[in-house]
Amino acid sequence: MAKRKSSGNRSISYAKWGYIFIIPFFVVYAIFTLYPQILTIYNSFFEYYRDGLTIVGPRFVGLDNYKTLFATNHAGYVPIFKFLGNTIWLWVLGALPQFVVAMMLALFFTSTRLNIKGQQFFKTVIYMPNLIMASAFAMLFFSLFSQVGPINQFLISSGIASKPINFLGMQVSVQTLIALMNFLMWFGNTTILLMAGIQGIDEALFESARLDGSTSTQVFFNITMPLLMPIFIYVFITSMIGGIQMFDVPQVLTNGYGIPDNTSTTLIMYLNNFLGISKNYGMAGAVSVLLFIITALLSSIVFKSINPNRK
Amino acid sequence: MKKLLSILLAMLMVFSLVGCSNSSEPAPAPADETPAETEEGKVLNIWTWNVEFWDFLGKYYADEIVDEYTYKKGDVTIKRTTYPSDGGAYQDALDAALLNQANAPADEKVDLFLAEADYILKYTNSDATMDVKSIGVTDFSNTYKYTVEAASDANGVVKGVSFQCCPAAVIYRRSIAKDVLGTDDPAEVQAALDSWDKFNDVAAQAKAKGYYMIPTTNATYRVFSNNTTSPWVVDGKLNIDAAIEGWMDQSADYVANGYTAYTSNIWGEEATSEMFATGKSMCFFGPAWYFNFSMGNAQDPDKGCFGDWAICQGPQAWFWGGTWILAATGTDNPTMVADIMNTFINNEEVCSKLVSEDAQFSNNQAVNAKFAADESYGNAFLGGQNDTAVFVELAKNIKFQNITSYDQLCNEGLQTYFQEFLDGNVDKETAIANFKDYIRTTYPSVTVE
Repeated sequence: MAKRKSSGNRSISYAKWGYIFIIPFFVVYAIFTLYPQILTIYNSFFEYYRDGLTIVGPRFVGLDNYKTLFATNHAGYVPIFKFLGNTIWLWVLGALPQFVVAMMLALFFTSTRLNIKGQQFFKTVIYMPNLIMASAFAMLFFSLFSQVGPINQFLISSGIASKPINFLGMQVSVQTLIALMNFLMWFGNTTILLMAGIQGIDEALFESARLDGSTSTQVFFNITMPLLMPIFIYVFITSMIGGIQMFDVPQVLTNGYGIPDNTSTTLIMYLNNFLGISKNYGMAGAVSVLLFIITALLSSIVFKSINPNRK
Repeated sequence: MKKLLSILLAMLMVFSLVGCSNSSEPAPAPADETPAETEEGKVLNIWTWNVEFWDFLGKYYADEIVDEYTYKKGDVTIKRTTYPSDGGAYQDALDAALLNQANAPADEKVDLFLAEADYILKYTNSDATMDVKSIGVTDFSNTYKYTVEAASDANGVVKGVSFQCCPAAVIYRRSIAKDVLGTDDPAEVQAALDSWDKFNDVAAQAKAKGYYMIPTTNATYRVFSNNTTSPWVVDGKLNIDAAIEGWMDQSADYVANGYTAYTSNIWGEEATSEMFATGKSMCFFGPAWYFNFSMGNAQDPDKGCFGDWAICQGPQAWFWGGTWILAATGTDNPTMVADIMNTFINNEEVCSKLVSEDAQFSNNQAVNAKFAADESYGNAFLGGQNDTAVFVELAKNIKFQNITSYDQLCNEGLQTYFQEFLDGNVDKETAIANFKDYIRTTYPSVTVE
């Protein structure tokens, strides 16, 4: 400001540089995000797919794709609702233990009283599963838990089971495995984010609380948690968006069929089925639009309910 | 991006599991080959979903094997592009390439691609494939009629050739047959298995001796689906044929009675583990390519049971798959494309080697007849049985009928969803409803009632 005044009427406006510097982001955003988004919404009003090598459409059909999407299927339910339920359930199953374990680990690692040695080592180890590709991870579990895989061999040779257990054919085990894989892959990431959040809290607050004789529980609920809230909301919402977009693990583990009885079919797997051999852009567009609305709604609900003071 | 990459890698992994690579040593190419004309493209692109034909191409056609994905023939580089067949991934990628064919640079155009009976119609009935007679593949006197019909469009224009003929048989374990039936002689085993009723009776006997009749309920699926009286899609509507219903009933029966080891995918670890010497399953089903390309576990030197097998026709005549080589419209190597096709159907030396060295059942009737009549010829894997003689008889019964371009995913989908019923996860109605819903999602052009 002082500089500006002194330079008088020969002032140089630096404001334009601000705009110039943010141009690349907006260009990239417009080309790679905004345009496809608009195109997806546009396509959802058209009949547009391939029959063999023949392209059918695009033909404007109004809301027909949405009507089809909400129609009851042959098994007597609206598929999109069932798959939305699956997706949320699978996410909760993996995310709940993930938050609990990650929070505990983050507290242990940041606690000045525990002062754990070899932190770097543990941090690397718990982050490691995230570096493995989800699909490779799922392939690994697929082989481990197959009826002739090592897990079954162990169970039989140790006498726990008398015949191979079809882990990949039962709802409980398939859903548990998916949740377990998502948990293993993401708890390290969450731990590190939460640790960063806790480390950002002024140490003096913890010290004074301790001097006042508060218990660890009191410290956690009255100091750590409220001050960690912004980071926690971030972790929660990103995890939720990731959960809604869950695809690779169940896709590879169930070979794309969401076995058994479509109980592990997620929304994106459903979307992927439309985009398979027939490249049904119309229906896939409708699913995407719905997905967009659901994600936006859930995020804002979570945001509002966890932190009502924020605007 | 991460997801895209992971899908790609997953495909590669799946492929590497499915496609067991037979290391092919560079063999001298037959001498009577004419070098490709120089004014044509320098790169020949061939699309495949496994390496079966690719290995034969390396052994019998290419001059030099550069690496796993590249051969040299004269001054032309032959390149392979491979996607796994499962879930339609191969068709998916191929469709994209063919639709882009006109815009692709000459060296990246698809020149040749492979297709299976399950979806060959989709390509032969489109402009993406070209009349091979126009580029010089004219002699079909020795090929099996159905292989030419399958590669022809609705007007009878031939769009490609097959290098194999695929009459299929029951492939049984000799030692188990001896134990159960008291004989492993193909003629006597055939007499005991020549109808489904008899087959079921033998299944009960096998069970009593502690064996399974089949490795998985899916093993018999192709026999039924190949003997349907109506196609999967009739007038744009999904149609489940009585033969498919027959398979469902039989499968439910076999699971209830414990005649089958598993209910899983025929390519999966479970079913293939039954091919080891420790396996307890008596009957596998398949054509020549099945036992020499897909029964790797049986051929395993340590855990396998090489030579403990034999074939007979079984309850019903059928064929399975077969790989066709189709010429892509827009190819810049028409001469070489025609040359490859002619080599694999009309070159007697190559066809003979396909039989004698690779245990294929070739698509050259004269060559097959020669081996069938040869007393000294036998397949070591089948304990010295002359498989060609069996197949020559079976080939007479092959009819290419009731085929639609939707067959692959209808077949895969039905088996997958019906397995859930067999595993006891859902009732039969739900299983079929799930299958119908899968078809409705997958093929918007098919009406599902």
